[in-house]
Amino acid sequence: MSEATASQPAQRGVAMLRRIDPAVAASFGCILLLLLVGSLYSRSFLSPDYLLQQLKVASFLGVIATGMMLVILLGQIDLSVPWVVTAGAMMACAAAAHGTTGAILAIPCGILCGAAIGLLNGIGVAYLRIPSMIITLATNAVAQGLMVAYTGGFAPQDSASKAMRYLATGNVVPGLSNAVLVWAIIGGAAIWLLSRTTFGRAIYAIGNRERAAYLSGIDTRRVTMLAFALSGALSAFGGVLLAGYASKAAQSMGDAYLLPSIAAVVLGGTHILGGRGSYLGTIAGVILITLLQSILSVMQISEAGRQLIYGAVIILMLLIYGRQKA
Amino acid sequence: MSAAEPLFRAEGLSKRYGGVIALDRADLEVHPGRIHAILGENGAGKSTLIKLMVGVVAPDEGRMMLGGREVTFSNPSAANDAGVVCIFQELSLIPDLSVADNIMISRPPTRLGLIDRQAQRRIAEEALERAGAGDIHPRALVKDLPLSRRQMVEIAKALSRRPKILILDEATSALTASDVTKVFEVLKRLRSEGLALLYISHRMHEIAELADDCSVFRNGRRISTFAAGTKTDAEVIELMIGREYKHAFPDKPVREPDGRPPALQCRKLGWGDRLRDISFSLHAREIIGLGGLDGQGQRELLLALFGVLSDISGDIFIDGDKVVIDSPVAAKSDRIGLALIPEDRKTEGLMLPMSVRDNLSAAAFDRFAQFGIIDRQQQSALIDDMIRLIEIKTASPDLPVSALSGGNQQKVVIAKWLMNKPRIILLNDPTRGIDVGTKQEIYRLLRRLADEGAAILLYSTDYDELIGCCDRVLVMYDGAIRRELAGAEITERALVSSALNVDDGEPAEASAQ
Repeated sequence: MSEATASQPAQRGVAMLRRIDPAVAASFGCILLLLLVGSLYSRSFLSPDYLLQQLKVASFLGVIATGMMLVILLGQIDLSVPWVVTAGAMMACAAAAHGTTGAILAIPCGILCGAAIGLLNGIGVAYLRIPSMIITLATNAVAQGLMVAYTGGFAPQDSASKAMRYLATGNVVPGLSNAVLVWAIIGGAAIWLLSRTTFGRAIYAIGNRERAAYLSGIDTRRVTMLAFALSGALSAFGGVLLAGYASKAAQSMGDAYLLPSIAAVVLGGTHILGGRGSYLGTIAGVILITLLQSILSVMQISEAGRQLIYGAVIILMLLIYGRQKA
Repeated sequence: MSAAEPLFRAEGLSKRYGGVIALDRADLEVHPGRIHAILGENGAGKSTLIKLMVGVVAPDEGRMMLGGREVTFSNPSAANDAGVVCIFQELSLIPDLSVADNIMISRPPTRLGLIDRQAQRRIAEEALERAGAGDIHPRALVKDLPLSRRQMVEIAKALSRRPKILILDEATSALTASDVTKVFEVLKRLRSEGLALLYISHRMHEIAELADDCSVFRNGRRISTFAAGTKTDAEVIELMIGREYKHAFPDKPVREPDGRPPALQCRKLGWGDRLRDISFSLHAREIIGLGGLDGQGQRELLLALFGVLSDISGDIFIDGDKVVIDSPVAAKSDRIGLALIPEDRKTEGLMLPMSVRDNLSAAAFDRFAQFGIIDRQQQSALIDDMIRLIEIKTASPDLPVSALSGGNQQKVVIAKWLMNKPRIILLNDPTRGIDVGTKQEIYRLLRRLADEGAAILLYSTDYDELIGCCDRVLVMYDGAIRRELAGAEITERALVSSALNVDDGEPAEASAQ
C-alpha cells in the first residue's frame, strides 16, 4: 500500500497523458496548420477580430455537435439534424410572432419541438429497435414535411425575438459574442454530464458493449432514449441561435449542419462506433471544420471546388482516424 | 477393430489456446464403413479434434493422414474438397433461402457465370434422396420446415459434397426421439455404402445403438478405443472420469436450518422447451451447484432468474415473497438483491476498453451517486476497498480492464457485482479459462460470501469444482433438473452418470422401455 501512495502523483501524471487522445492532439495540430496556411493568403487571418468571428460561427456548430456527440458515443447516429435545426428555428420564430408571451416562450418552444422529435427518435431506437440511421432519416423527412406544410414552402415571415437575437449576436463580455458564451456553458455542462453523472458513464458503457451494460442492470433503453431527446433539443437550440443570428428562419437552413456535425465529432477522436471520445476533441473538431470552411472561402475557390475539397478533406481525415485501434 | 488400413489417421495432434491445452498429442484412426463414436466430458478435446479435422483451426503439432497421404487443411472448404465434412451442432442453414440454395450454398452449379437453377435442383433432389428426405421439396424455404426436417437438409447438404468421412457433432441434440430414429436409419445406410462416420453425442443409449467403435477422450488425449458393446456404461464413465490434479477447496461448514424462508425459491419455472418444470430452494449461507453437460439449460436458468428472458412461466419467491423479475434493473434492486456473473466476461461481463474504475462502477451507481450525480470521493473509496478486498492486481483503477490478466479480469467481473452488495449471487462458470491460483481465490471468496450470509447458485462445467465447493448440486439434463445431490452424494461418478441421464450405469431410457 505504501508503494501505491508514493507513486500516486506519478500515476496521476501518466493518467493525464493517457487522457490526451492522439486524435485530439492531431486536431489541434491541424487547427494550427490551417491558421498558418490561412495567414499566407491573408494578413487579417490571424487578427483577433477574425478569429473571434470564426469562434462565433463555430459556436452554432458546436451546440449541434454536442448533441450529435452524445448519440455517436452510444454507437448510434442522428440524421434528423437538418430539419430539427430548421424546425427549432421556425417554431421559435413562430412563437415570437404572438406578442409578449410568445416572445418569452420563443426559445423554450423551439427547443421543446426539437426535444420532441428527438424523443421520437429515441423511442424508435431504444424501444422499437429501429436502426437509428433509418428512424432519424424518417423523422427528418417528417419534420421537413411539417415545416414545408406550415410555411407553404416559402420563406417564413416571422422574425426572431429580441432574446434570440441577443443570445446569438449580443455581447455580455465586450468583443466576445454571446453565442460563444452559450457554447461554453453547454460545453461545460456536457463535460460535467459525461464525466460526473451516472447518465454520462452509462452512455460510455452502452457504447462500449451494450450487452454488458444491460447485464450490469443499467437501464440501457432509457439512457438511449434520453440521449436522442437531448440531441434533438440541442439541434433545435442551434437552430434558435441561427435564427437569432440571421433575424429569421429559412427553409433548409439546417442542411449545412449534418455532415459537419458528424465530421466534427469524429475528427475530434470520438469513435464512430461509440464508447470512446472526449468533449475536448469535439471542441477541436468543431473549430477545425469551421476554419476549413472559412479558409476555402478566403482562398476564393469556386463553390463547386470548395465542396469538393471540403468533402475530400473530411474523407481523408476520417480514413486516418477511423483506422486507429478499431 | 479391423486390421485394414484406416481411411483417416491422426498422429500426435496438439492444440493450445493461450495457456490452456485443448488437445494433447491425441491420435485417432477412422475406418470406412464404420460408425465411430467419440466420448468425453466437457473440455475433453472432442470439439477441438473435430475443428482440426475440418480445417477450422490448424494444429500446433502432429499430422493427419487421409487415405495414406498426409494432408493439411487451411480452411473448411479445403477439408470438404478432400472429403471430410462436418455437421456442426448449431444448424448452419440460412432460413430465408430455399432448400436447394442451402444445399448448394458454397459452390452452386453455374452456367455462363449464372447459377444453373435446373442443375442445382437436380443435385439437391439427389442429395435429399440419399439423405432419406426425398419428400422435401427443393424449392421450399428452410424457415418453413420443422427442426427435424432442417436437420435432414443439413445432412443432405453435407452429402452433396461427396464426403468420405462424415462427422456429426451433437447433430441429434435438437431432435426428438422419433426424428432421431429416422436420422439413424439414414446413418446406417450411409455406413453400408462405405462412408466413415464420426459420431459425437452425449447420449449414451444413442451410441449403444449406433456405434461400431468407441473412443474415449479425457484431458485432450485419447484414453481408450474399444468395440461398441464390449464395455458397460459404468466402465465407460470410469474411463471418462479421472483427473490428474485435485483443487484445494475451503471447508464446508454445516448449515443448521434456521427456519427462515429460502432466499430464492423457484416453483415450476419454464421457458419454451428450453427450461422445464424447474423447482428448487436456495437458502442464505448456502452454495448450490448447477451441474450437467454444457447446454442443458443451466445458462437459460440463470438468465431467467436475472430477468433477461421474457415469457417465463412459473413463480419466483424472494425471502418467501412472490416477485416478478422482468429486467436486470429489477433483479439488482435492493428488494430482490440478485447479481449475475455472466458466462463470457469479454462480451457480457466487461466493457474491455474502459477503466477498472468504470467497470467496477457499472452495476453499483446507486451506491455512490445521488440523483444521478456521482460522488467521486465515495466512488474512489468504495473502489479502492473492493480492489483490496478481492486483491485485483492493477497498477491503477484508471487502467483499461483489457490490460489485466484473464484471472484479474474475472475478479473485476465478480467485484463489480459485490460493489452492489447482492444477497443472492448467480455465477455462470466463473473459473473457465483462468489460472489455478485465481481459481482457488475465487473458491475461498465464494465460501466467505456464503458464510457472511449470501446465497450462491454456481453453474460449473468442472466437476471437481461442484464437488469441492457446493453444499448441494442440481444436475440438469435437457432443460430439467434430473437429480439433486447433497453432501456425500456429490461424487464425480454420480455427477457424470446423472449428467448423461443414466442411473449409475443403467441407461434410463432402456429401463423405461
